[in-house]
This record gives sequence, structure tokens and C-alpha cells, in this order.
Amino acid sequence: MRRRELREGAQGLLMVLPPVAVIAVFIGFPVVAAIAYTLGRAGGPNSVVASLGQRQFIVQHGVTLDAYRDVLGNKTIHRDLWATVWVTVLATLVVVVVSWAIALYLRLADTRLARIVSGLSVVPLFIPVVIASYAMLVFYSSDGFMRSVAYHLGWHSFPTLGFTLWCVFLAEVWVNIPFGVLMMSSGLNGVPNNLIEAARDSGASMPRVVRSILLPMNVIPTVIVATFTAIYVLGSFTVPYLTGPTAPNLLGPSMSNFFSAFNQPQQAEVLAIVVFVLALGIGAVYVWANVRTGKRSAVAP
Amino acid sequence: MSTERRLDGAQQRAEAPASPAPERTDVGLQIEHVSKDLGGRTIVDDMQLEVKAGELTCLLGPSGCGKTTTLRMIGGFLIPDRGRVLIGGNDVTKMSPDKRPTAMVFQNYALWPHMTVFKNVAFGLRLRKLPRQEVSDRVAQVLELVGLTHHVHSYPARISGGEQQRVALARALVLEPKVLLLDEPLSNLDAKLRVRVREDIREIQQRIGITTVFVTHDQDEALSISDRIAVMSGGNVEQYADARSLYREPETTFVASFVGAMNSYEATVVPGGLELPGKLVVPCDDLSATGDGTFEAGVRPEDVHVSLNGDGAPADVVREVPRGHYKEIVLNAGPNEVRAFVSADLPPAEHVRISFTRALLYRDGVLQRSSAPVSV
Ligand SMILES: Nc1ncnc2c1ncn2[C@@H]1O[C@H](COP(=O)(O)OP(=O)(O)OP(=O)(O)O)[C@@H](O)[C@H]1O
Ligand SMILES: [Mg+2]
Repeated sequence: MRRRELREGAQGLLMVLPPVAVIAVFIGFPVVAAIAYTLGRAGGPNSVVASLGQRQFIVQHGVTLDAYRDVLGNKTIHRDLWATVWVTVLATLVVVVVSWAIALYLRLADTRLARIVSGLSVVPLFIPVVIASYAMLVFYSSDGFMRSVAYHLGWHSFPTLGFTLWCVFLAEVWVNIPFGVLMMSSGLNGVPNNLIEAARDSGASMPRVVRSILLPMNVIPTVIVATFTAIYVLGSFTVPYLTGPTAPNLLGPSMSNFFSAFNQPQQAEVLAIVVFVLALGIGAVYVWANVRTGKRSAVAP
Repeated sequence: MSTERRLDGAQQRAEAPASPAPERTDVGLQIEHVSKDLGGRTIVDDMQLEVKAGELTCLLGPSGCGKTTTLRMIGGFLIPDRGRVLIGGNDVTKMSPDKRPTAMVFQNYALWPHMTVFKNVAFGLRLRKLPRQEVSDRVAQVLELVGLTHHVHSYPARISGGEQQRVALARALVLEPKVLLLDEPLSNLDAKLRVRVREDIREIQQRIGITTVFVTHDQDEALSISDRIAVMSGGNVEQYADARSLYREPETTFVASFVGAMNSYEATVVPGGLELPGKLVVPCDDLSATGDGTFEAGVRPEDVHVSLNGDGAPADVVREVPRGHYKEIVLNAGPNEVRAFVSADLPPAEHVRISFTRALLYRDGVLQRSSAPVSV
């Protein structure tokens, strides 16, 4: 019995070995090298980049956290970090709320309008991020469409959103809405009608059905949308680079600045690790939610 | 307590529109000329049904005849296009399900997977803001009523189908509805459990005396637990009667063929019996009607009398099927196939004589009756 289990385990391991090996060689190894570099080790694979970079903190023996101190003590980076956090949190919140609302409407109303809305909500999926970013600017820059229209309607002080963090926020919402709506819709459509009807039958009003049946049954899709959106915004580059201000901006563009414009690759990699740790924290929420719901809905043996 | 208040409130609201009939305590549920169109088709067509208080009525009919649609109109999940639904004499036609004094047990139970058994049953009571203690007392009480005392804190996915079925029943009963609705509640259970659970349901129903509408397409189920059975076809009630009259005197050929087995022939009435195709005269003492011209004659297999010699029309035995305490024999009488249920003791034979002890005569699918019992 135990031997058979062992053999089956070994077979499984053998089957996942090739992809794991590929990841280990092409992603794992560079990651390890990068971490070593941020800790002051400039030998081996890091020697080329270390020979070009400026403002490096290198040690021959052991490790040093000087590069981290340098980055985390930098006032500009504080502002970037803060910008990243609030844009991420706000965009995630808005994406979750808006996609919940749209998906709920689609679930409960089976009308032509609902079908049109459901079609429209996935349109951003088919528009490249670069195009969408420029479209945002065309709409919200100082000489953009919105301001022109507002001006003609007599509102002369319509705010310029182009090249501000607000424009970044709007563009991030635009980019992430389709995934949110698709995910929430499939989650809500997975709730059978008769579960809703049974609740109505027990005397629940429609808002109560949403709160007591649909919401708890749609936790996993909600967590997926929230975590994926947050991780996407956290690590995004194109949107903040094209539509955001010079500074402060999200950590993505700032990483790129450190790497090429300032020629400080060590600091760029430290930033990458900071972003990675934040994303890891978000990922942990996702795993925790999955485990928690998995426990209760396991089917009887 | 508060359930009562809610139900009363619901009734007062319903009393306002045209419902002059004073409250009658003997009628549980009335369906008056109800019609419903769905997808451009008339699914339920001018249906009428009255269920007495405390009575269990089965809606029996083939797939697609509108049973579920009817039940959903009683429960408030569908609003009839025409006609009225009354509960205890009060018009509830347009009332939403959360306001109606009805409770539904769904075919696949519709238990909420994220709530434990206890929470599933307690949900409706909690909505009514009852004190904690009362909620748990009433849940415990109703779970005991349906015979489910453990697994109270399990999630539905972890209990068996039969237990889930009981939870669904408990969830419906805990709100003390005036009308209990069950849509094929046993179809997901295996054959043995089905028989046991249906008897349990019947016993609970009689114990608390709740007006019940039970949808099924299984005639056995309907015949064994109902006070009355409404046989439906094409969105209408073909016959509404107790099990015995439904079986002995089916009003239409549809009911005759749907409930139980029935031999049917084109026949004319001749002195002493019926003439079947092939100029075969079969003696029959008890005809539902007489008259000229052809009838559609229906004869139950147990009303076919088979003897080895003696009177009657000649017939050849095609095969015998042992059925335990009786046997079914298939005969050829001229060009006609005859099925008969006979005593298991009847010795095997190739050629026999048959007569009918009773035959029902139909014209245009409707049972023909003479005012007095006919003897020819
Ligand atoms: N929403 C709907 N739109 C269009 N047609 C419908 C709708 N609901 C039901 N029908 C049709 O109405 C007919 C009767 O449906 P119903 O569910 O009442 O049948 P039933 O007697 O319960 O059958 P079964 O024994 O298969 O459950 C079916 O032909 C079905 O296709
Ligand atoms: Mg049905």
C-alpha cells in the first residue's frame, strides 16, 4: 500500500519535472542571482551588470542590506511607493465593486439591455493597453475631449487628468474591468436559480438574497478578481508610464528609471523585490481564501 | 409566533383586491381558471383545482404537461397570465414568494452549500428576527420531526441524498406554511429509499395536517400517498379523484392508459358481451354503457377472466410472466392482444377461454356511462 503510493508519487514528480526544470533554469536562477546582487554580491552572473552600474553597495564576503537602506531611505521612492499603494487599492476596490454590480445586474435581469451591457463590458479586453492609454490621454489631457466639451458647456475649470495619477487609476480600472466582469459573471451564473428561489421562498427580500446567498457563494471569484487586479496594477508599467506624471509615479516606471535613466541597476532590482514581496502578500490572501472555502464544500466521500 | 404574524399580514394585504369570499377553513388551496404562456406556448390552460385543507394532492402527468409550471404559480415564482390562486380563501395570485404562506421543496433540494444543516433550516426563522433560543428550539424540533438528529452542523455536501432531502423538507416545514409544495422530491433517491421517504413524508404530512401539493410523474408514488390525484395532460387536469376511482373509473382514455395497465380495443356492444375486431365475441357482465356503433373499450388485466375450459372466447397463450403472487399472461384472441393478471396457481396451457368481468366504454376519449349499471 505505502510502496504503491510512493511509486505513484514518484511518477507524478517525474511528469512535472520538465516544466519545473525549465522554470528553475530560466526564471529561478536569474531570481536568485538578482537577490544576491541586491545583497551586495557582484560576482558570477552579476559581474557584467555590476561593472556598469553606479552607486552600488558591494561586499566581498557575507551580505549587506545597504542597497535596501539606500532605496528605502529615498524620499522620492517613498512618494512612489505611496502612489503605488493608493492607486492599487483604489483601482482594486473600484474594479471589484463595478464588476460585482455589472455581474449582479446581468445575473438577475435577463433583458436585451443586460445582454448589451455584458457585451460592452468585455470590449476593453480587445483593445491593446498602449492604444487604451493614448485614448485616455486624448480624453483627459489639458487639450483633451472632456475638457473641450466641458468648456463649451460652460465649465471652464474641468480638471486636467492626463499625466496625473488619476489618469493612471482610470486606465487601470478600464484595463481590469473585463476580467472582473467575466470572472464575477461566471461565479454568479454558477449559483443555481433554485438556490435564489429557495431563499425567496423562505421570506428573503432580493437585497437579502444578494447578501446571504450570492455574496458568500461568490467569495472565491471576488478574491480572484481582487488579488489579480491588485497584482496587475502593482506591477504595471505601460499604463503608468504612458499616462502618469513624471513623479511620483508607480514603482513600475520608477524601476525602469533606476535601471536605465539613472544607471542604478542594484536599486532597480531592490524595487523589483519590494514589489514582489507586496504581490506575495496579496497572493497569500488568495491561497488562504481558497483553502477556507475548499474545506467546507468538499463533497462527501 | 412571528411566523403567524407574517402570514396574517400577508393575508390582510391579499384580502383587499376582489376577494369577496369569506375565509373558508375547509379549503386549503384553490386554482381558478389559471393559464400561463411561456415561450409563446400555452403551458397551463384554464386549469382548475381545489385542495381541501390538510389534504395531500398529487399532480401526476407525463413530462412537459405543466406540473412544475403549476406548482411554481402556486409558490409565486411565476405569475399566472389569467386566473386566480387562492390560499385559505385569500387571493395570492400576484404576491411574491417571500410574502406567500407557501413553502417549496425543490427537486434537487436547493440547499445552500455555504450554510450548515442548522443554518439552512434556521435561515427563514432568522429573517423573522426570532430570538436565538427560539430559533434553535424550533430547528431542533423540526429536524426531529423529519428524523434527522445528527449531522446538524455538517455542510450539505457532506450528507447523503436522503438526508439532504430531509433537510429540504425541514427547511420548508419550519416556517409553518399553509401550503407545502413538493416538486418530484424523491426523484434523486434510489428505489428503496424512495418508497421509505415517501411514506415518511405522508406520515409527517398527516401528523401536522398540512395542505400539500406533490408533483410526480410516478403513478405508483401518486397512488400510494395521495388523498386525491389530479392527472394532468397538456396543461390541464384530465381527472381529479382519489386513487381508487382514478383506477377503477378513469374518465378519459388518457387517464386509463396513464394510470395502470389497460387493454383497449375497438368494440361494439352485442347481446351478452363485446364484439372485438375479428368478429370475436367476448362475454362481459359489466359494461359502463350500451349503445350502437363502435366504442373504445378498456379492460384492466385483472378484469380478464381466464379458464381452461368452459364459456368464453377462445384465445392462445403467447407467454406467461411470473409476477410473484400472481402471473401476467399475454394472449392472442383472434387479431387482438390481451393481457391478463391471473392467479399464480393457474396451470400452464396453450389454449384457454376468456371473458371480461368489467369493461369501460369510451367515445371520443371520454368515458360513457349509462344512468343505471348495465347488465346484458
Ligand atoms: N421559461 C420557459 N420558457 C419556455 N418554455 C418553458 C419555460 N418553462 C417551461 N417551459 C415549457 O413548458 C412545458 C411544461 O413545463 P413543466 O416544467 O411545467 O413540465 P413538467 O410537467 O413539470 O415536466 P417534468 O415532468 O419533465 O418536470 C415544457 O414543455 C417546457 O419546455
Ligand atoms: Mg417538472
